[in-house]
Amino acid sequence: MYEAVHAHPEGESTVSRLAATAADYGYDGLVVRNHGALPTFDAGRIRDEFGVDVVRGVEVRAEDPAQASGYLGSLRQEAAVLALHGGSTALNRFAVRQERVDVLAHPMRDGDLNHVLVKAAAEHGVHLEVNLGRVLRTSGGRRVRTLSGLRKLRELIAAYDAPFVVSADAASHLELRAPRELFALGEVIGFDRDDVEAGLAEWGRIAAANREQVSESFVEPGVRRGRYEEADAVAGSDGHTAPEDGAEADR
Amino acid sequence: MRHLPKHLQPRWRYLAVGLESWPDAELSRRDLQAALWESARALLGDPGSADADLTVLRFSFDGGTGEAVVRVRRDEVTRSRAAVACVSSIDGQPVGLAVLGTSGTVRACEEKYLSERPQARGERTVAFGGAERPAVVRGSRLDVRRRGDDGFTGATNLDLEQG
Repeated sequence: MYEAVHAHPEGESTVSRLAATAADYGYDGLVVRNHGALPTFDAGRIRDEFGVDVVRGVEVRAEDPAQASGYLGSLRQEAAVLALHGGSTALNRFAVRQERVDVLAHPMRDGDLNHVLVKAAAEHGVHLEVNLGRVLRTSGGRRVRTLSGLRKLRELIAAYDAPFVVSADAASHLELRAPRELFALGEVIGFDRDDVEAGLAEWGRIAAANREQVSESFVEPGVRRGRYEEADAVAGSDGHTAPEDGAEADR
Repeated sequence: MRHLPKHLQPRWRYLAVGLESWPDAELSRRDLQAALWESARALLGDPGSADADLTVLRFSFDGGTGEAVVRVRRDEVTRSRAAVACVSSIDGQPVGLAVLGTSGTVRACEEKYLSERPQARGERTVAFGGAERPAVVRGSRLDVRRRGDDGFTGATNLDLEQG
């Protein structure tokens, strides 16, 4: 299971401190989803020290669809998980039709969704985020509004079998919560335990799929360089496999 | 009043709860109890809160970390766990809570989940974010004092600049 977090300097804890606590809680990985500049971290050292896979993500925050479109184009290659900060309903409407958007973050916080948009999200593989941050950390009217938004989102996701992710949206190691706590909270507010678990695991699946796409063995969907390439390249070294030789030399 | 006959006595479960905050936080048993009741009331309502009956039995907290044993009704463990998760700050101080485990007796709860947590801590100056800053160190974890205000940044020794 994975969590998606805001790290220092946007949050109050560094990536490695979040990873340390995530490891205590039994997470397999973390998606860093800062809005602005990505923090620097050494994913290899963090993995060695805490056994947590750190994924480079970004949560694009834009005023309107035109601005969002520009940011998405420039950040798609850098981020293994590309999320869009859900803002107005107009932004939600734009995001659910963008195949390059992995996650529409907290779509119900300031905007709204309806059956048409959720259907579009399902068609284009845009994950809707079930963001538990405000259930965990606010109270009163704001929390009630968050809960009614989540209920609507839950019903729409179930109706159209739309892809979704779940997060506690932590901005420090103190705001992280263990998976079992999120399962329990989910149960109280109407989400199945299995759905919360699937939603946490989904972050990892998105990251794995995107890493696959940028890895050097990937050619296009359904085609990848396999383990027979090298033997073929040697056998046919009289010229007609030049492209493979070039790819080998790049490594 | 006379004890209830055994088959009518409530069945309890004991949650081992790990607490974490910034090093300058001060928490008492009473603060945690109040926060749990408030959280349970907000999340489960008055009837749900009465059913769960969260009661802090053991409590220790020192220098930013601590642990507690919380008694709940046996068939309300999940809802109690959710109420524990929704405590995000106590008395204005942000806290991280985690249920480390559940047991049928206080003793088993303490022995299984709470024995090894206390750790040596110290203060030293570290190179973080391009400056020398005072930090509270606990194992590989550091709480680095921020410039200007009195807050902290959570870090580990992987974040320190070498040399």
